[in-house]
Amino acid sequence: MNPNDAVALILAGGASPALSVLTAVRTEAAIPFGGKYRIIDFPLSNCVNSEIYNVAVLTQYRPRSLNEHIGTGRPWDLDRTTGGVHLLQPYLKEPGESVRWQEGTADAVRFHIDFLEEQREDVVLILAGDHVYKMDYRPLIAYHVEKNADVTIAVRSVPRYEAHRYGILVIDAEGHVVQHVEKPKRPPSTLASMGIYVFNRRFLIDWLTGPGKRQKDFGREVLPSMVEAGKRMYAYPFFGYWTDIGTVQAYWEANMALLAETPALDLDDPEWVIHTRSEERPPILLGDDAVMEGSLASDGAIIEGKVVRSVISPGVRIEPGAEVRDSILLTDVYVKSGAVLDKVIVDKNVVIGENARIGVDDEFNAANRDLPDVLNTGLTLIGKGAEVPANAVIGRNCVVRPYTPPKRFPKEAIPSGTTIPIAR
Amino acid sequence: MRTLAMILAGGAGTRLTVLSEHRAKPAVPFAGRYRIIDFTLSNCVNSGIYDVGVLTQYLPRSLIEHIGIGRPWDLDRTRGGVHILQPYQGRGGQFWYRGTADAILQNLDFIRDRRADAVLILSGDHIYKMDYRPLLQIHRDKGADLTVAVMNVPLEETHRFGILTTNKQGRVLEFHEKPKTKDKGTLANMGIYVFRTAVLEERLIELSQQHEDLDFGKHVIPAMVERGDKVYTYQFDGYWVDVGTIEAYWRTSMELLSPDAPLRLYDRDWVIHTRSYERPAAKFGPQAQVHQSMICNGSMIRGEVIRSVLSPGVYVSPGAVVRESVVMNDTWIGPGAVLDRVIVDKHVVIGAGAHVGWGEDMKENALLPDKLYAGITVVGKGAHIPAHIRIGRNVLIRPNVDEDAFAPFGEMVPSGETVGGERHES
Repeated sequence: MNPNDAVALILAGGASPALSVLTAVRTEAAIPFGGKYRIIDFPLSNCVNSEIYNVAVLTQYRPRSLNEHIGTGRPWDLDRTTGGVHLLQPYLKEPGESVRWQEGTADAVRFHIDFLEEQREDVVLILAGDHVYKMDYRPLIAYHVEKNADVTIAVRSVPRYEAHRYGILVIDAEGHVVQHVEKPKRPPSTLASMGIYVFNRRFLIDWLTGPGKRQKDFGREVLPSMVEAGKRMYAYPFFGYWTDIGTVQAYWEANMALLAETPALDLDDPEWVIHTRSEERPPILLGDDAVMEGSLASDGAIIEGKVVRSVISPGVRIEPGAEVRDSILLTDVYVKSGAVLDKVIVDKNVVIGENARIGVDDEFNAANRDLPDVLNTGLTLIGKGAEVPANAVIGRNCVVRPYTPPKRFPKEAIPSGTTIPIAR
Repeated sequence: MRTLAMILAGGAGTRLTVLSEHRAKPAVPFAGRYRIIDFTLSNCVNSGIYDVGVLTQYLPRSLIEHIGIGRPWDLDRTRGGVHILQPYQGRGGQFWYRGTADAILQNLDFIRDRRADAVLILSGDHIYKMDYRPLLQIHRDKGADLTVAVMNVPLEETHRFGILTTNKQGRVLEFHEKPKTKDKGTLANMGIYVFRTAVLEERLIELSQQHEDLDFGKHVIPAMVERGDKVYTYQFDGYWVDVGTIEAYWRTSMELLSPDAPLRLYDRDWVIHTRSYERPAAKFGPQAQVHQSMICNGSMIRGEVIRSVLSPGVYVSPGAVVRESVVMNDTWIGPGAVLDRVIVDKHVVIGAGAHVGWGEDMKENALLPDKLYAGITVVGKGAHIPAHIRIGRNVLIRPNVDEDAFAPFGEMVPSGETVGGERHES
C-alpha cells in the first residue's frame, strides 16, 4: 500500500482547561512551542514528511488562531488541488437544528462522517493535535496493512507510576491487542496508547454508525468495545520522543528539554523538517551587554538584557538590565529594564513593566488557589496581552488573566497562588 | 496611473570579489537572512507596485531560485506579479544586455504588453527602504517625461555619481556623469528613474541608433535634458547604500548592529521580505557569549561572537571567537578558531584553532590591490580552512579550496596573499 492511500484526521478541538490561560485564548493545538512553532506543526509536518497529503483538521474550541495558522496549508505544501488540508468545523446539519457540540474524539469523527465517506483512501489515520513528536507514519500504516488489521494503535512504554494517565493495552506475542483499558487505577501493563490510530476507512464508518453509534470517545468506549467484539486490533511500538502537552508543567518541561546540548527532540534535522507559518522577521539582535546562556531565541528578537535557560519567541524585546531565567516568552513580549522573571510562562504581546519581579520569591508550595490541581509546581503564567505595571511583585503559581490592564493589579506585593485580577 | 517596475539585476559586482563569483550582486546575502535584491523587491510591494520585471544576465541561477514565483513578496499573482527577463535570442539577432538602457530596450515588448503609463527603473543592488509612491506622485504632478530620484552626497564623493543641477521647481538643467570638477553641486543620481512609458520607448529607439551600449546615466538622461524633455528630480533623504565594495559591504553590515540602526530593519510597518528555509530557533549554549551581533534562526552559538553578523545555520564551536566579521549560511567554525574582520561565504569550514584575520600587517592584496585593502580577509564559498593555520589580512581565499591549497604556505598565509586558483578578476 502507498501512504497516499491514507487520509489523516487531526483532532484539534479540545478545550484543555489544564493549560489555564494558554488555552483561554486558543485551542491547545495552536499553543506556541519551541520559540517559533505551534503544537499542530508536529502532526501536520509528520503527515507531509510521511507523504500523506490529504489531511483534515477537526476544530471546535476557539479555532481562530488555529485557522489563521493553517490557512491554505501553504507552509506544509498542503495547498493542493487534490487532497490538501481541510478545516472541518462544527455546523448545523438541518435548518432550525439546535446547536449540538461534539462531545469526544469519536463523536467528532462521527460528526464529519460524510467527509470520510467522500474520501477515496482505504485507511484513516487519526492523530491528536496536541502531541509533540517526530514520527514517520509510513511504517505504522505498512504494519497495519501487513497484519490485515481492522485497527492499529501506536503504543509506547511509559513509567509504571504514569500508566494510570493513559489508555493501557495488553498484547500477545504477535502484537494482537487482547485488552484495552482507559486510565486504569491498577494498570495491567505499561504499554500506553499514544492516541494515534489507523483504521480501515470502511470499518470505521460502519462501526461509528453501527455498533458504536452512541460511543463518544475512542479510548474510553470505541477501542475497548472493539476488543470485546473480537475485532483485529494491533499495537505498533514507537520508540522516539513523544510528549503530550497536557499540563502547564509538561508544556514547560518540553520547552526546557529543547535547551539540552543534545535534545531528545532534534528540531534541526534537515531530514525531518518541522514546518510552520512564520511572519517575516529580521535576525536576532544582541546588544552590548546582552547575556544569552543555554537558551533558544527566534528571529526578530532584540536582546539587551540577560537570558538564562529560556525559550525566546519571535519579536521578543528584553531591555538592558532585565533578567529572564528558566522562562518561556511567546511572540512580541516586551520586558522592560530592571524586570526579573523566574520560571514564568509569558503569553503573546505581554508587557512587563520596569523593575517588575515575577516568580522571584521562593514559595513554591503555595498552589494556585483557584486552580490548585493545575498550578502547583512553581510556575507563574501571564495571559496574552496583559500589561504588568512597573515595580509589580508577583509570586509563584500565579495567573494573570489575558488582557489584564495595569490598573487591575493590586498595589502591594502579590503572594504566590494568586489569580489576577482578584475576583471581587 | 499604472506603474511597472523594472529591476536591473544583471550586475556582476566584480569589486565584491569572491562574494559575486558564484552569483549576481543582487543575490549576495546581506544582514544575515536577506539578499540584496530583497530591499528593492520589498520596496516595490510595500509601495503597492505588484507588476515587476527583473532583468538578469550575469550568473542568474541563485537569483532566479531566490525569486522563484515571487511568493515571499506576494508577487505570485494572476495579473502582474514578478517576471524574470533574461537575455534571449530572436530572429532579428538579439544580443546580451550591453548597458542598463539597452537591457530595457530589449524588453520593450514586455513593457508594451503591461500597458503601464509609467515605468519605474530600479537597481537590484542597493540597500535602502524607500516608498516609491511620493516619487510617482511628483512625476505625475509635474507631468514629467522623466523623474530622477536624487540624494545629497558629500562633495568629495561627487566624482563617483551622476550629478544634477536643477531650477527651483526641481526641473533638471544639467546632468554630469561622474564629474571631475567639484562645482556641479551635490545632488546625486540614485539610479532610480520614473519614465513616461511612451517617451521611454521613443528615446530608447532613437538613441540606440547612436549607442550600442546604451546606458541611462551616460546616454539617455543627458540626451533628454539636452533636447528639452521634462526631466524632474525627487529628493530622497533616507538611508541608502550601494554595497559595491568589500569595504562598503563590511561597513554597512557593521552599521546594522544597534537597535536604532539607520536601516530600521525592526520596523514592522515596512517589512523586508525574503525567501527563507524553515529553520528552528537559534540556540545559545551555556558557554555562549554574544554581544552587539545579529544571529539568525538555525544557528548554534557555543563560543564567543562580538560585533558580527551571522546568517542562518552557522555553528560556532566552544572556544571559538568571531569578531567584527560577517559569516554566511551553514558555515562551521571549529573549536578555538578565531575570525577577526573576515567575510566568510556560505558552507565554509574553519578548522579547529585556525586564526583568520591575524596580525597587524595591513598589506593590500597583491592581485587585487584596489579591492582588498581595508584589512578585511574574504573566504569564498565552500572553502575548507585547515586547522591551526594563521591567515593574515586582505587575504583572498578562493571558493571551494581544500586544505591542500594551503600547503605551499605552511603554517601561515601572510597578509595580501591569495589562496587557490589562478583565476582573478581583471
